[in-house]
Amino acid sequence: MSTNRQPVLELRNVSVGYESTHGVVQAVRNVSLNVYPNEIVGLIGESGSGKSTLANAVMRLLRDNAFLMGGEVIVQGQNVYDLSHKELKQFRWKRMSMVFQSAMNALNPVLTVEEQIVDVFRAHHPRMSKQEVHNKAVSLMELVSIHPKHLRSYPHELSGGMRQRVVIAIAIALEPDLVIMDEPTTALDVVVQKSILDKIQELQKAKGFAVLFISHDFSLVAELAEKVAIMYAGRVVEVTDGRDLQMDTRHHPYTEGLLRAIPELTAETVTIEGIPGNPPDLVHLPAGCAFHPRCKYATELCQTVPPNEVDVEGRTIACHLYADEVVK
Amino acid sequence: MACTEPQAGHAPLMEVSDLVVRFRVRGGAGKRTIVPVDHVSFAIGSSEVLALVGESGSGKSTIGRTLVRINQPSGGVIRFEGREVTAIRGSALEAYRKNVQMVFQDPFGSLNPVKTVEKHLIFPLRKHRGYRGRVLDQKVGELLEQVGLTPVPEMRAKFPHELSGGQRQRLAIARALAVNPKLVVADEPISMLDVSIRAGILELMNQLKREVGLSYLYITHDLASARYFGDRIMVLYGGKVMELAESKELIRNPLHPYTRLLLAATPGSRSRVNLTNPFNEAPNLDAGRRGCPFAFRCPLATDVCREEMPPLKHQTSDAAVGEHLVACHHSP
Repeated sequence: MSTNRQPVLELRNVSVGYESTHGVVQAVRNVSLNVYPNEIVGLIGESGSGKSTLANAVMRLLRDNAFLMGGEVIVQGQNVYDLSHKELKQFRWKRMSMVFQSAMNALNPVLTVEEQIVDVFRAHHPRMSKQEVHNKAVSLMELVSIHPKHLRSYPHELSGGMRQRVVIAIAIALEPDLVIMDEPTTALDVVVQKSILDKIQELQKAKGFAVLFISHDFSLVAELAEKVAIMYAGRVVEVTDGRDLQMDTRHHPYTEGLLRAIPELTAETVTIEGIPGNPPDLVHLPAGCAFHPRCKYATELCQTVPPNEVDVEGRTIACHLYADEVVK
Repeated sequence: MACTEPQAGHAPLMEVSDLVVRFRVRGGAGKRTIVPVDHVSFAIGSSEVLALVGESGSGKSTIGRTLVRINQPSGGVIRFEGREVTAIRGSALEAYRKNVQMVFQDPFGSLNPVKTVEKHLIFPLRKHRGYRGRVLDQKVGELLEQVGLTPVPEMRAKFPHELSGGQRQRLAIARALAVNPKLVVADEPISMLDVSIRAGILELMNQLKREVGLSYLYITHDLASARYFGDRIMVLYGGKVMELAESKELIRNPLHPYTRLLLAATPGSRSRVNLTNPFNEAPNLDAGRRGCPFAFRCPLATDVCREEMPPLKHQTSDAAVGEHLVACHHSP
């Protein structure tokens, strides 16, 4: 992890809350994370971990009942929440864009693929000629390996994998510095998923944008991302090198639990072990470390005091188990 | 086509031969007939887990639903404990369903939102097993205990919306167990659950296999969990069986080009395949199609593949790896 470069995305103590009938529910708690140019960072979490809320917070696309409670979101040196509405409209998609989970819902069913791609250029480059925009659309389709004849297709005429490729093409149309991908392959078959992931890696190398890749699929992220952040109950509990996501290195007990919970495909003998209990309810979050009711290493301290982040062999881990290590 | 044997050491419980399921669907241009299950044969032994692996459109769920007779077979024979159940009706079908239960993918949709946990179990225990009063109450408690829905007194009165996804799936399993079945058809039972919860459900199903001798048809798209839970894996594509072998053998020594592709695409696999053809369309399921359904995507495909469906053939007689069947013109 290099520190001398300027990060594309800098999250500084970001907290996000939702207004609800129970008062304010904090979905993201004090998250700090950097994404550097040319980097794919994976963000793993279960339902309710706050991963999608965090993604929406970066894009400043939080729902009406959600708000930034504290912290800063900085993209290419610019605080996203300091922008005026007009500036934000230009900034979004030009500097940062997003690929949403469901390609069917992300595309407009009554517009052709071309109309949806053209839309992006019309909004951001109103003076671009029709021919130029069409050429752009053709080359974008070629980039994501779809025949340009499908520019005239409607979303329902395309397969799930092709639709997701179109969504990716739209996301990279303006060559942004940062692309946030929220579970981009979740609804797809494994073979199609693999071809999309290969495409993302290929495009990322060619264009040099940074990716924040959000997923619940541990083995997939471990393979794709150089750096992986693991979220639990709104907190990033560990940031690790993707290659280190193995049992023989020291991890946060939650990460360790996830590693034990996934059956390995090729090992001679396979044993798995689930994490006891259930994902936390954000309305009634346990005191201290939110993971302590499910943690086999939990001590009395864990029930009362939230752990600090410490450095363990280059990984950042928020756990009392490693309290003797250097505090970050 | 030969009816394949259950794994060595397992007496056959369910035998399926030449199963065909046809559906009439409304296509773009009028009605047409599709064949999502096309001459599929397999057997499941007692306390054996057969994992059915395939993509969407492979026919895996249709096979599962046909075994419990939610869908009706259009051809072929289904035998349970030696008796034919392909077309039974009325009380015979009711008796059969006591032996063969189903657990669905979506634990949010398969439970009744206005019934308590307890009520979900009382109904089958009363109707199918005839329990009443104190014994009934005790049986409910035992079932909840067995599937790990504890503390029992607290759980009894809860409604489905008060349970987490994993707990709901445990309740769905308890409800299936209430009638004391011999075989459970589990259709993607863990795919909608969080990763940390999945292992617990698989482990519960494993434990029931060991302790009660339950058999499963485990339907999944995930080779890793099929390898973990299944004794054998059957790989389907376009309604046809591509390959069938003991789990370890299938992962270690995949012989069908489709199995190899699937394996390479699964995260965590060491093999690499260049996915040169990204235009992955769904397989053709139309009645009257010819040849191998995978031929249009297959790197090895030749003219014979497009004309003629290869038979499912034994590949090995090696006792150490058991039966290994492959349907490919180009397999060695």
